[in-house]
Amino acid sequence: MTRRWGMAIDLDKCNGCGQCSIACSQENNMPIFKDDSDVPKRVAFLDLMKVTNDRDAEYPNVNVAYIPKMCQQCEGNDPNNPVPPCVSVCPAVATDVGDDGVVSQIWSRCIGCRYCQVACPYEARVFNWWKPKYEESFKKSLNPDVSIASRGTVVKCTFCSHLWKQERDKAVAKGELDINAVTYTPACVATCPTNAMVFGDLNDPKSEISRLSKDKRAFRLVHTIDDKSPEEQKKLKATRNYPSPKVYYLSSKQWVKDMMKFK
Amino acid sequence: MSEAKAMSDKTRKIILGVLWALVAGFAVFAIQILFWGLGYTDMNNVFTWGNWIIGDLGLVALGGGAFFTGFFLYIFRVDKLEPIINSTVLIGFMCYLFTFVFLLFDLGQPLRCWFGFAYPNWGDGLLPTSMLTEVFFCLSLYFCILFVELIPIALTNKWAEKFPVLKAIGHYMHKLMWIMAAAGTFLSFFHQGSLGGGMWDVLYGKAVWFREHHQLFFIAIIAATAGGTSFMTLCPFVAGKVMNKEVMPKETYWTLTKISGVMFVIYTTVRIWDVYTMTTKFVPSFDRNYLDLWGGYYGIWLLVLEFLLLLSPVIFLNIKKFRETEKFMAIGIVSGVLAIVVSKISVLLHGFSAPNFPWRKFAAYNPTIQEWFVTLGVFALMILIYIAFVKWFKLFPHLEHSEEDH
Amino acid sequence: MKKIERKDFLKMTGGAVVGGLTGYVFSGAPFLMFQELAEWSQDQYVPGKGEQKLLSDICKSCSEQCQITVRMVKDRAVKIESSNTCCPLGQASLQLLYHPERIHKPLKRAGKKGSGKYVPVSWDDAIKDISGQLNKLTKAGKTDGIASVSKNINAGSDLVRRLVNAAGSNQNYYESGLDSLTDAALGGIVQYDFANTDYVLSFGAKLFEGWGSQIQMNKVLADWKAGKTKLVQVDTNNSRTTSLADQWVPVKPGTEGIFALGLANYLIKNKGKTSNGVGFAKWAQLAYQFDLKTTAKLTGVSEKQIKAVGDAFAAARNPVAVAGKGAAGVSSSASELIAVYALNSMVNSKAASLKKVNGLGVPAKGKASEAGLDAFIKKGALDFLIVNEADPVYKSVMGADLAKKMNDAFVVALMPLINDTAHYADYILPTLSPIETLKVEGKAMVNRFPAAFHGGDAVIKIAQKVDAAKGSFPWKSYLDVIGQTGKKKAAGNFNFKVSDLKDQITALKKESAGLKMLPAEIAVIGDGDGMAFPYVLKTIDADTFELGKMKVLINKKTAEKEGVSDGSSIDITSSRGEIGSVKVCVTDLVAPDVIAVPLGFGHKAYTKYAKGKGVNPKEIMAADIDPVTGTANWWSTHVKIS
Repeated sequence: MTRRWGMAIDLDKCNGCGQCSIACSQENNMPIFKDDSDVPKRVAFLDLMKVTNDRDAEYPNVNVAYIPKMCQQCEGNDPNNPVPPCVSVCPAVATDVGDDGVVSQIWSRCIGCRYCQVACPYEARVFNWWKPKYEESFKKSLNPDVSIASRGTVVKCTFCSHLWKQERDKAVAKGELDINAVTYTPACVATCPTNAMVFGDLNDPKSEISRLSKDKRAFRLVHTIDDKSPEEQKKLKATRNYPSPKVYYLSSKQWVKDMMKFK
Repeated sequence: MSEAKAMSDKTRKIILGVLWALVAGFAVFAIQILFWGLGYTDMNNVFTWGNWIIGDLGLVALGGGAFFTGFFLYIFRVDKLEPIINSTVLIGFMCYLFTFVFLLFDLGQPLRCWFGFAYPNWGDGLLPTSMLTEVFFCLSLYFCILFVELIPIALTNKWAEKFPVLKAIGHYMHKLMWIMAAAGTFLSFFHQGSLGGGMWDVLYGKAVWFREHHQLFFIAIIAATAGGTSFMTLCPFVAGKVMNKEVMPKETYWTLTKISGVMFVIYTTVRIWDVYTMTTKFVPSFDRNYLDLWGGYYGIWLLVLEFLLLLSPVIFLNIKKFRETEKFMAIGIVSGVLAIVVSKISVLLHGFSAPNFPWRKFAAYNPTIQEWFVTLGVFALMILIYIAFVKWFKLFPHLEHSEEDH
Repeated sequence: MKKIERKDFLKMTGGAVVGGLTGYVFSGAPFLMFQELAEWSQDQYVPGKGEQKLLSDICKSCSEQCQITVRMVKDRAVKIESSNTCCPLGQASLQLLYHPERIHKPLKRAGKKGSGKYVPVSWDDAIKDISGQLNKLTKAGKTDGIASVSKNINAGSDLVRRLVNAAGSNQNYYESGLDSLTDAALGGIVQYDFANTDYVLSFGAKLFEGWGSQIQMNKVLADWKAGKTKLVQVDTNNSRTTSLADQWVPVKPGTEGIFALGLANYLIKNKGKTSNGVGFAKWAQLAYQFDLKTTAKLTGVSEKQIKAVGDAFAAARNPVAVAGKGAAGVSSSASELIAVYALNSMVNSKAASLKKVNGLGVPAKGKASEAGLDAFIKKGALDFLIVNEADPVYKSVMGADLAKKMNDAFVVALMPLINDTAHYADYILPTLSPIETLKVEGKAMVNRFPAAFHGGDAVIKIAQKVDAAKGSFPWKSYLDVIGQTGKKKAAGNFNFKVSDLKDQITALKKESAGLKMLPAEIAVIGDGDGMAFPYVLKTIDADTFELGKMKVLINKKTAEKEGVSDGSSIDITSSRGEIGSVKVCVTDLVAPDVIAVPLGFGHKAYTKYAKGKGVNPKEIMAADIDPVTGTANWWSTHVKIS
């Protein structure tokens, strides 16, 4: 059975500590800037979104959650024929979707047209507006398995596919040739100190991620039709694709689920 | 007998000065952008495209008048359009040339632009998977056609007439222009639709842009025929006023604006249909409300403005009495062009400002000085090139005839 | 041979050129040229490849003793593989390790204090000078002006304490932190057992935002079973902890202590509870001032809810009340800390116990110390100061006064990066971050700075040259000390300290109107330490700091009342001064008539990544010094905005 990598983030366990974001930066050679406060131009694969229900409520009924958002690895309507909204639009095939459902991004192929950024409903893709730089000794902790992007290219979370490749190479070296036997953990999930993040194979019914994705606390980020009846969903899916992300969030708080809907 | 010049020397000098200043600024900031990157713009990860894509959409839509005029002249043999064809070809050529220039600036890696041709996202079908691949190929091919169409006009320069071989080439090319026009129309059909509409309506993740069955693709083609023909009328009209000469027989203007008027009626109709389907079907499929998508600085006033501007070409360009009165024709074509420009601006500004998450507000965009100089510099350059062609090439064949008659 | 005519020559040349160009274009050469041009012009750095290894060791920097695993590529540490380790920075530890502004050699001041000019010197010269200064003072009997400031109670600060004590002074101070404040108020630190409680009543303690031991609290949250334990947060503004809590009891700014007293009053009067703290009877008399009606008026919590909380607290199987307002930076008055602990004693909570942490001994001689750092800054004389991995000039509300005192004293700072306090130091000695203390097969995992030592080792080196300390420092390294300190044993009974706190408690009854400024902390930045690291900067959200401007949070109704809106630029003034200009972010996470100001900004030093960003609210925060803790109670400050 081919893998279908997915992630679940339990917001009842997430304390917004930010370690996932920093781990991702460290693993993926995020560029270093003295002033990184131009937030809409910031280069970070994992955005810790501060979400409140200020729209719907007043003090003392307003709460906050820091929701980690990375590339949602959308698959479109049919898991067996994934069509993420960003892959079909790239003019140079710099982004593609693999058999395991992970949307890849090759920064050395990207011509920087940003059409994929326009297509992404989750603002998960970031562009190198400036030349990525690493001041002096910071270069020493750069990860050689992730290439340094040039300015003018789009970069994004790839579920740390370079770590999958490492595990794949190790398995092959041991004689394990089945590509679907490889398991790995992306940097963000590995570092979460409260075990709020879970990663695994959605195609494996026994995996924790499969179980969590069906939990009653589970929801997906904003652009979904999960709360509609199966008939309604079928009707809507016949007219067009829906992103259908593979990152699930869990929360027992109704306000969080309410904020997933536009008013 | 020549009448008094409509424009004083001083005014002309000032205008030319401003245009050259814009071009100089363009040169300076172009180097900064190309060498030091797009960080010097106000585009960002939320508001991904700005001035230059608006420029692209506008130029391609208005430049589309070239193919449509050629179509009527060479395929339908509407000879009344003959006097304007040189001007339309030049304008079309410039519009596409500078569309490429804008695109080059908008690419983060312009040195890799050839990847679009070497590694196209074509997929398995006849038509490419990515709309932008379609744009790359179609625009390039059409640009070649426009280049070929421009050659005979370029050869009308007095210097070229010294070489009989060049005159012969020009003459024979004129005879075969209909092939170019047919091919151009075919190609234009596709990329007008793709750049102006197809690129946007395939984005199934975005409530502001998505439509089914490439609806916006077809509407964009109609927009280009409508706005483009008005624009093609407008340019020589303005030139004539500035030079205070009759550059075009009136019948040419009336013929082209008649075509334009009809296209504007069709455009307005399909645009109303477009807004209707967005409101009742497409936007609700995202669990959102069409009116709620409009907000921030680029609110519903943009949509209202577009329709208000559409009123005048629909009325003035279709009613013969108004169409053939200079004042009303001018109002009609100017507001027609503006209507199409506003519709493109709205696609971009309104589209990018609408929030992607319920807790976000509408985004704003404040182009930087670099973006302004590149945009306005390109427009200035286009005006200067047009003036150069008026002066040194036979852009307005009617001028010769009218002068001979005097 | 036929003569080549000019016409033919031109034809041939033309053909050759056209043919050549065509061949060139179609061969793909221009595309290769573009490719190479692109690569050459981009000039991107390529990190060195090499053998990858995973190295593990147990970190002995504190009592947690975490196992840390580091991914090494050749001799470079590229990733920390273990989770919930290397606190407080965690994954950002590698940014500290490889920071370009790390101090590699001892630095000696080379200009005026505050100028930031230093010259590197050898350890021998530095220690000679430093120990010489101490010897001079001890010989002359001038030991009253010797002092130290440490961040926390740990092995390193225990060594500093021993040195200062040996030199004849008692003046060992800590930054305003949970353990040091609790120790001053209750005579010990509170050890909580969150795993076995069913009802947690937190008085402004932002449990999951860096409060207490981050590593332990992460484990608590990881194991938290909904339904098994209930978290009730008593707090003014909503934050991550409050949003995770099961119930929020919103209170007016700074009134958590009053709520505790009100609850105590209710438990004593209505439930007949008593406490075994010394002086309970007298204290209860004070608590009676906070009857339901008074408490409701002062805190804004309804009488009904006060009763409900009291009932639930008393009826729980193993309830625990938690004190210490804040996260990394904690500010609670002694009366508040005592009142909250008293609640635990009233219900015989097994989830809170008072523990004395043993240090290294060496009884203190000389003058009694001030109760706390801020009292010392206000009143004490300073001749010699050791700053041990702390930043009191930045973090204390009396920081500016401390800087003035440091101007005329001899100051030694032990730290890895030059922070705001180090600017007033005569010597800055480089220390090792926890990850640099890890060893594999006897060799350091990463040895970037051969000249740096663990803070504790640096103190031992100095101590060995200080005459007064001879015999008191038999160790070679701080590692020898680790096992000996940090041991917890039950503390004796706590004392209500009624005579000292009578006035403070009574003063709580005075209601005050107007705008109040409260601190807020964001993850990793905490109360300032995380600001020097670029990957941490990437976690700062746009509602806190954007485009170089710090933001303050104001309630919707309050913003309207004050005539400001989202994005307005304002200045904030208190009786101590003014800070500005900051931008307004309107949100109802914040209570009415409150301005929430982030901590961690406004550094004047501490690397280019922290310097000059935003403003430091501590400069104008309340500086009333607590009579028992000797630390300013800076939590809630009266302000005006303009």
